[in-house]
Amino acid sequence: MTTQPKVTVEVPAESEFVAVVRLAVSGVASRMGFTLEDIEDIKVAVSEACTNVVQHAYPVGQRGMVRVESIMYDDALEIVVSDSGAGFDTSHIVSAKNHSDQSDQGVFGLGLGLTFIRSLMDSSEVESNCGSGTIVRMQKKVPIQEG
Amino acid sequence: MVIEFSVSLDHHAGLPVVRVAGEIDVYTCPKLHKVLSELSGDVGPSVVLDLTNVHYIDSTGLGTIAHSARNLSKLNRQMNVVTNRPQVRKIFEISGLTAKNIRLFEEEAQACVE
Repeated sequence: MTTQPKVTVEVPAESEFVAVVRLAVSGVASRMGFTLEDIEDIKVAVSEACTNVVQHAYPVGQRGMVRVESIMYDDALEIVVSDSGAGFDTSHIVSAKNHSDQSDQGVFGLGLGLTFIRSLMDSSEVESNCGSGTIVRMQKKVPIQEG
Repeated sequence: MVIEFSVSLDHHAGLPVVRVAGEIDVYTCPKLHKVLSELSGDVGPSVVLDLTNVHYIDSTGLGTIAHSARNLSKLNRQMNVVTNRPQVRKIFEISGLTAKNIRLFEEEAQACVE
């Protein structure tokens, strides 16, 4: 079994490093056959996952890391964003529809990170358990080349 | 850490125009929030948010803009967002913010008239 090429970046789970992850992942995506729009979508999706880690994974004052793996399949890019932080109960993922009218929306975000990932990527999965971290996987297929 | 971002307050046709350039994400949106939150003393029917030179925005930026727009709507004011980038418009549309008092325009001239 051949191993897929993989690029891994691991950065502190702090807001100024999300742009570093965007740069690395868009660098990988630009080597595959994605359109410019696809690459913009991938940048937002991976930033949303990293932002969730920055905002929720680790208690204030505790330094943690976020790991982002970009796995290059022949026909798709898979991005895996993982942390070893607090985790959460995935049954509490709120859908955009019943969230958008809540008055407790934060100033910095809408609580819609996972909704954005689902809208912008072809598929995604979230695995999390309280106390043992979170893994968000997202996939986008490379467009079929004509001719 | 040098991240591309700038925000400034201008005026055009009697309206406050908040001009943003670069990337609006979890790191830079507090700076945008600060400028938007200082607008409450201004008089006028709307605030223009010029995102013409913004090439990246995600839900953190939208949350900041939505928060400001909610405060404006309590004063019956509109937030007129200027962008000619389909990607930026797409992010607004996914978030469902194009309803309520946020309106998207492609050019500042249109945003300052309405």
